Amino acid sequence: MNTQNQNGYMLLFRGNDWTKRLSPEEKQKVTDQWMAWFRRLTDQGKAIAGNPLEPEGKIVSGKNRVVSDGPFAESKEAIGGYFLLDVASFDDAVAIARECPGLPYGVQVEVRPVAAECPLASELKTEVQLANA
Amino acid sequence: MNTQDRNGYMLLYRSSEWYKTLSQEELQKLINQNKAWFERLTAQGKAKPGRALERTGVTVSGKNGRFVMDGPFAESKEAIGGYLILDVETIEEAIAIAQSSPGLAYGGSIEVRPMAEECPLDIRSRELAREEQLVNV
Repeated sequence: MNTQNQNGYMLLFRGNDWTKRLSPEEKQKVTDQWMAWFRRLTDQGKAIAGNPLEPEGKIVSGKNRVVSDGPFAESKEAIGGYFLLDVASFDDAVAIARECPGLPYGVQVEVRPVAAECPLASELKTEVQLANA
Repeated sequence: MNTQDRNGYMLLYRSSEWYKTLSQEELQKLINQNKAWFERLTAQGKAKPGRALERTGVTVSGKNGRFVMDGPFAESKEAIGGYLILDVETIEEAIAIAQSSPGLAYGGSIEVRPMAEECPLDIRSRELAREEQLVNV
C-alpha cells in the first residue's frame, strides 16, 4: 500500500447500535469528546469535512434498480458518519483513527486513501498500456 | 423516516471491482456516460464533487484503537468504492438520482443516506433527558 497520498484519506465510522448500551451521561460525554476531537482536527487543518448520517436510508441495486430498506440501524457494519482528512501519510490517518472516542464502545473506523481519479479511468489506462506493450 | 432533509443526501457506492471485466470500449463508454451524468447533476446544482476511494485501507477497532486490520478487501461486494453528496430536498429525488447512475447496470448497489444536521448521539441524549423529566413530573 502507498504510505503517501496527496488526495487525503477518508475515515468511515462503522456501527449504528453501540449508543444503545450507554447511559445519558456516557452519551453526553462521548458526544462532547467527539465534537472536541473534530474541532481540534479542523483547527489543525487536518480534517476538511465530516458529517454524521441518519441511521436509516435506502439501497438501490442491480440492473433493475430495485429500492430496498437499509442499512439496518442495528447493524455493526452500517456507516454512521465520515471525516475527510488532509494528511500526507497513511500512518497519520491511522493515528487519527486511533483517537476516535467511540472505539472503546465498539465503533470501527475504516481508513481509506482517496483516489486521484475514478477507478474506471485508471483501469482504462492500465488496459491501454497493456495493449500497447 | 423523514422524506425531507435540508442537509442533503449521501450516495455510498458499494461494489466489487466489476469494472475489471469490461473491455476497453465498454469502459470508455461507461466513463463517458458517468461523466455526462455527473456534469448534468452538477449543472443542475444537485450534486457536489464526490470522491473515489482506493481499494485498500485498514480498519481500526478496540479500546484505544489497539486492533489494526487490513481491509476492506477489494473483492468484497460490500466495500465502499466512493461517494457523492446530493443537494436535493427529498429522499425520493435522491433515490431517483441513484437509480439513474450508469454503473448500476453492471451490478453493485448504492446506499442513499440522509445527512444528519447534528450527531445522532446529541439527539438521543436530549430524548433521554426528556424521558427522565416526564418520569419525574
